[in-house]
Formats: sequence, structure tokens, C-alpha cells
Amino acid sequence: MKNDEMGLEQALERLEQIVQTLENGKMGLEESLDLYERGMELVRLCEGRLQSAERRIECLTGELPADLRGDGKAADTF
Amino acid sequence: MTQIFTVTDLNERIKERLEGDARLRDIWLQGEVSNYTHHRSGHRYFTLKDRESQISCVLFKSSGASLGIAMKDGMNIMAFGDVTVYRPQGRVQVIVRGVKEDAGVGFRYMQMEALKKKLAAEGLFSPERKRPLPAYPERIGIVTSPQGAALRDVLKTLGAYPARIILSPAQVQGEGAEESLARAISALRGMCDLVIVCRGGGSIEDLWCFNSETVARAIAGCDVPVISAVGHETDITIADFVADVRAATPTAAARLAVPDAEGIRQSILSSRVRMMRALWTAHERRAERLEYLKRAVSARRMGSIAADARQRLDYLSARLDAAAAERLKASRSRLEKAAARLDAVGPAATLQRGYAIARSKRGLVMAAGDVRPGEVIELILAGGWLLCRVLEERQGGGEREEHEGAG
Repeated sequence: MKNDEMGLEQALERLEQIVQTLENGKMGLEESLDLYERGMELVRLCEGRLQSAERRIECLTGELPADLRGDGKAADTF
Repeated sequence: MTQIFTVTDLNERIKERLEGDARLRDIWLQGEVSNYTHHRSGHRYFTLKDRESQISCVLFKSSGASLGIAMKDGMNIMAFGDVTVYRPQGRVQVIVRGVKEDAGVGFRYMQMEALKKKLAAEGLFSPERKRPLPAYPERIGIVTSPQGAALRDVLKTLGAYPARIILSPAQVQGEGAEESLARAISALRGMCDLVIVCRGGGSIEDLWCFNSETVARAIAGCDVPVISAVGHETDITIADFVADVRAATPTAAARLAVPDAEGIRQSILSSRVRMMRALWTAHERRAERLEYLKRAVSARRMGSIAADARQRLDYLSARLDAAAAERLKASRSRLEKAAARLDAVGPAATLQRGYAIARSKRGLVMAAGDVRPGEVIELILAGGWLLCRVLEERQGGGEREEHEGAG
């Protein structure tokens, strides 16, 4: 699975696995540097996910009320 | 003759008529209490109802002082009082002067208790059925009224948590609310990781649809965990019993639904620190090992290794030389033998045995007819050669005649 298809939960789980593998320390230098890189990618991914204030609200039937519509960043409007 | 009334006149007429009716004075009225409010003024306002109708009631402070029971919604009572009309609103109401509790609970509560028992017997409330909430839901379904405050409370509390929110609008009170709620819950099938079914506070009637079997079964049949949040903290409906998690309020439901973003940030930060520490520890271990190996391979030891190598090289090259010489000797002897064998089959050895080779101008003489009498030929012998003239040519096998004797 590509990183951008990964949900926050999966990303956090994988990150935890990587941290544990690194902490086990049973791997070569190259391998552990690769893992570290992958871990940092996941860190960036997770932080990105958290920072994206974009919240998508959709309505199954009918229209969303006006106060909930709009740019999706309207967290401060209610 | 048609009379024109003012509103006030009409209400006054109705009031006179009703309050003048002796049959509507000092009555006992049987019904279930709802919308009960004990006002600051000390007066109590409530509605009495049965399966089909309801009527407003007032119990003034003066009458309430001697009230023997604590009234509350859902309670079945017998009220004593008079029918009056509140003229400013044209409202018919009962001024209650005395109350006693009716035997048993209200009809709806009886119904609800029966349903609760039935569903409990089916195991719909059992703890084993409760599903754990997803730790990081990505798609959150909300079943509620799009206009309600509950929805706004939920959205506000979800805050900036990065999830897709799917609103499945439902009618949350009144006629048809049960079916509407059940439809809205089913409509979310396969679309969410988590469903919140919620509604803000209201009278017990308003919340009653959440006590229906239809809604209970819809919640039980939902493909993902359901959080229910109906009314206020004290309102507990059958929906709450069936739901995987019951939240006291919509706000509480939202808080239960998603992890605290700050908590996640902390855990990411901790992962970063742990990774770096792990790398650093590994690096230090390697450095230590390198140091150890460096000490083990001292300069002296390096010299000794080099000397060993040198010696081995000499030994090997000596062996190589010896092998090469041996090879050469063998080759030479083979060559000599081959040359000897070659001599044995060549013409030289044959000539040694007394044969001669005859050669004319046209080449080797193999038969008597190859030359003519008088022609000069060469005879090659083992030692030297002769130039000869042919005297006579005879065909046949090799009997020789003495030339002088025969001629």
C-alpha cells in the first residue's frame, strides 16, 4: 500500500512497528537507516493528516444546512 | 342572526360556558404526567395524557405545599381539580388541587418495559454484543436531524479531527420518526467505521421514538459500532441499551468517537524520539565494536600476519618453480622419443637397410615403365647418390639378369 492511501490508524500502527524493530536493534546499518527513513516518512504523513484542518461533511439525502456547508474549514462557525 | 365576536369576547364566552358547567368542576382526571416543570414561582406545570389525547395542567404553589408525592414525567396519576380556560391564550386547562399516584407505571412505560424485556431476552443488550469503537475512525456516520443542536454539538466536538463525516438525516421526533431513524441508520451500511445516533434534549414524548423496537433493531443491525446519545444525561432509552456505547450527550458521543488529536501528536513525537534513540544506540554499539576490533588488530599483529603471508608466498612460488621444471623435463623426453619413432618410419632408416630411391626428371621411379632406355636417373643411397643411365627396361617381378652375361 502506498503511503498516501494509508489511513492515520494504519500509519500509526506501522510507525509503532518500525520503532519497535529499530529498538530491537537486530539489523544492519543500511537496513536500520532505511527503516528510520520510512519511519520519518510516516511521521510526516501522520502529522500532515492531523494538520489538515479540512473536514469533509457530506449529506446522504438532501442538502446540508447552510451553516454546515462551505469550505469545510468552518470549524469556528459553530 | 350572525354575531361578530372579538377574540377576547369569544374566549370570555367559552370560559363562562366551561367554568359554569358543574360537571367539569371537582373532577378526578386519570393520566400520565409529561413535560413536568416545577417553576421558580413554585407553580407546577405539566401535561396529562393517555394514548390519544393530552391536556395542560397547572398546580399552584398553594396546593402543592400539601402534595404527598414527588411528581415526575411518566408517572401515572389521579388529579383532582377544575376545568378552566386561560383566556389570554384561549387554552383549556385543568387547575389541579390534589394529586395521588395511580397504581402502576404509565402505559407507555409498561410498553417500554415489555419491549426491554423482550429484547433483553433476545440478547440484544448483552455485553458480548458490544463492539469496541475503532481507535481512529476515518468515516463517521451521524444519524440525527440536520437542523438540530445535537449535530452542531457533535461537529464542534469532533473539531479538526481528520475524518469524513457522513450525515444521514432523520426525523428525531413525532409521527414517523421511528421509521425515519431506522432508515437513516440502514442507509449508512458499508459507508462508515462508526455511527453516532443522537438527539438533543426534549420532553419524554419527543425522545420516545428512541424507545421503539424499529430503532432498536436498526441499531442492532448496524454493520459498525454505534454510539447513542439521546437527550440529557438522565434520559436513557432502549436505543442506549442496544447501542455499543451509550453517551450521556451528543457532545460526549463525539468525544468518545475520536481520539484526542493532542494525544496522537504526543505519540508521534514519542515515536520520533524512540527511533532516533534506537539509531543512536545502534550507532554507539557499532562504534564500540569497531573500537574493540581495532584494539585486537594491533600493528604487531598486522606485521606477523604480513610475514606469514610472505612465507606462504615463497613456499608457493618454490612449489610452482619445481612443478614447472618437472613439466619441462617430461616434455623434452617425450619429444626425443617422438623423434626416434619418426626416424624409424622415415626413408633414412630404410636406406640404411640397403634400399635405394630412384628418381628421374619426372619424379620418383616406381615402375620399370617410368623410364626409357638411355635416360639418366638418380639413385639415392644411405650414403650419397649415384647418377646412372638406363640400359634396358624389363617388365615383371624383380629377377635381375647380369647385363654383360645376357647381352
